[in-house]
Amino acid sequence: MENIVEFKNVTKRFKDFSLENFNLQIKQGYVTGFVGANGAGKSTTMKLMMNLLQADEGEVKIFGMDYAGNEKEIKERMGFVYDSNVFYESLNLKDIRRIVAPAYKNWNDKTFYNYIKIFELPLNKAIKTFSKGMQMKASMAMALSHDAEFIMMDEPTAGLDPVFRRELLDILQELMEDGKRTLFFSTHITSDLERIADYITFIQKGRLLFNDSKEDVQDRYALVKGSTDILNRETEELFIKVERSSYGFQALTNDAREIKALLGDRVMIEEATLEDIMFYAKGAKKQHV
Amino acid sequence: MFNLIKKDIIIQKTQLLLFIPLIIFLVFFAQNLSPILIFLLASTFISANAYVYDALTESNILLNSLPYTRKKIVASRYLGAIVYMIISIALAGGVLYLTGYGYEMMDMAIAVGLFFIFAAFAFPLFYILKPAYIGVAVLIGTIVLALGFQPASRFFMEHMTVITDFLVSTSTTTLYLIGAATSIGLYLISWMISQFIYQRKVF
Repeated sequence: MENIVEFKNVTKRFKDFSLENFNLQIKQGYVTGFVGANGAGKSTTMKLMMNLLQADEGEVKIFGMDYAGNEKEIKERMGFVYDSNVFYESLNLKDIRRIVAPAYKNWNDKTFYNYIKIFELPLNKAIKTFSKGMQMKASMAMALSHDAEFIMMDEPTAGLDPVFRRELLDILQELMEDGKRTLFFSTHITSDLERIADYITFIQKGRLLFNDSKEDVQDRYALVKGSTDILNRETEELFIKVERSSYGFQALTNDAREIKALLGDRVMIEEATLEDIMFYAKGAKKQHV
Repeated sequence: MFNLIKKDIIIQKTQLLLFIPLIIFLVFFAQNLSPILIFLLASTFISANAYVYDALTESNILLNSLPYTRKKIVASRYLGAIVYMIISIALAGGVLYLTGYGYEMMDMAIAVGLFFIFAAFAFPLFYILKPAYIGVAVLIGTIVLALGFQPASRFFMEHMTVITDFLVSTSTTTLYLIGAATSIGLYLISWMISQFIYQRKVF
């Protein structure tokens, strides 16, 4: 399986935040969802992918190429959607198309106008009059109209109403059907991931916690509930985080099989949702999730 | 490259409608203005305006996410400025001619030289300054230019006899060449500096 994006030991330091020794692979032909709390480093990762930021150490490869010397070619094959509007606010979509379209060799007007129709976007109104959802749709139309092989989206579903969100996920799924495209998108809405993601990348405080297939994550992680008497130093080691209450404890594990073998009937094992994983991982003492 | 230069026109379509009225306004309401100043203002109008738009972080994110290299983005700024300068000066010349405002080719040539020098200093500054300060910088720059231009030129005429003597003693052709070489040289150095700054910029 080929990797469309490859981060090798990437480090990027800011005054108050850093991405340390970050390794990431995005597999070709799949949808990878990117999750993590606010400020975990998602936008930094995406900016590194677009070469808006350059890594202090390590290497970033897209389509197996370095940005140095290949910038134009890489970006030609990429589509991007950012979490806020990047288009000139006072312009309408027609004018923005005039700026964006000639930048791409593979731009297809038919596809573009088709998306404008599906998304019900006005061509002659200034972008600044658009709602957040409309702005998102506008960037999406731009990202999807030049036959990009790799599409990167920063929270594309934020600000969209539930009906359109579902339609959009369907559109994205359709795009993926021919198996040539790769989609990487960040979101806080974990149900989006459960719906379309094949792989899940989880980042926390600038570190990658996992980058696995959705099935793998669902297999390994579990919520464990039971009485506090079974908790001792040894058993607690099995959990990522334990929460105690007067009724007993609830904990997250990343080794459901082991728990089952060791504790068996003495605990209740439930499937952990991505949200559970995000929630528990946040307060975890040890970070080897 | 051509697309990036064309982009400057697209983003300021509406402001461009003000261009000719602005020149007519200068002709009628500021009759003592040197034609050089009118040409200079006209030549910087489009590029300065485009800069204000492109100084926004969002615009930089857009341009840098499209298949353009940073080198090209800076290059199109510098080349585009020349293209727009030539068009604007020609237009301004036409307007002045039609309104009967007297000027000579020499005025145009001096304005072009001043344009290069002005742009050479302003462009790298724009890349360094934060977007929020650019409006202020442009405003202060314009005021200083407007207030200082005529006293400065008078001062040079009256007091700098050494320079004047040198100017008189040198042949006009050499003088033009020195002027042209200096201003274009500054512009090229400025281009290098801007490219250096922009390559390292973080969005």
